[in-house]
Amino acid sequence: MRRLTLALGMVALALVLAACGGTSAAAPTTAPSGATAGDATIVAKDIKFQQPQVAVKAGAPLAVVFVNQDGAPHNIKISDAAGKEVFKGDIVSNATVTYQVPALAAGTYTFMCEVHPDMKGTITAQ
Amino acid sequence: MFASRTSLRPSDVALRALIVALALGTAYIHSTLGGLLFTLNSIGYVTAAVAMVIPLALAVRFRWVVRLGLIGYAMTTIAGWAITGPYYSTAYIAKAIEVALIVAVSVDFARHDGNPVNVIRRELAAFGSFVADRRGTAGASA
Repeated sequence: MRRLTLALGMVALALVLAACGGTSAAAPTTAPSGATAGDATIVAKDIKFQQPQVAVKAGAPLAVVFVNQDGAPHNIKISDAAGKEVFKGDIVSNATVTYQVPALAAGTYTFMCEVHPDMKGTITAQ
Repeated sequence: MFASRTSLRPSDVALRALIVALALGTAYIHSTLGGLLFTLNSIGYVTAAVAMVIPLALAVRFRWVVRLGLIGYAMTTIAGWAITGPYYSTAYIAKAIEVALIVAVSVDFARHDGNPVNVIRRELAAFGSFVADRRGTAGASA
């Protein structure tokens, strides 16, 4: 019976790995973008933002192109100086999406990945 | 002190297989998230899954510790997520798996070990006897 338990455990392991092996990255719900043209581009790679400081135009809606080159899921959440959330993008894996960010008043904002809070950056609207 | 064999019914085997599958399922999800914390969490679940079925005498003897540890581990993982997020589909799937895991391990515990308080009392008594035996042996050989 003990061997049967072990064998069933191994079968369960194989089934889980087989089922998970075919899982694809989460489909982006934000409009995908083939081009990288936008008001700003932010790339996530190796659990880091490659552009920790981004400058954008204040007072106008923004198209922020977010390129996640990791298989790990990432997104961008933008907060103002008081810590109040002003935008939160969909979480995507290994995909490029364009976030439609509402107009930001002039000032400094922080952005971060919700899945990996250590991934942070600064947006300056001017 | 280390009894290594217990008889398992087919339902026990099925339940144990379910526990392993659930633990490995959430381990896989966490392994795909990247970062040290998620990777360590994943390794913890894999280790617990192995400890639930490995036929080593020590693991069999202290399977109740593994069960309680796995329940606590899953509850801590859920609490950590509830505090920090993020709240999205994959996370909800992982948490659903962990809730099912807690239920399955609790049932396994009840079937094999019974009341946790009685288990702890029994183990303390066994430890006391073990220490007394060791002292007696040391005194006899002195």
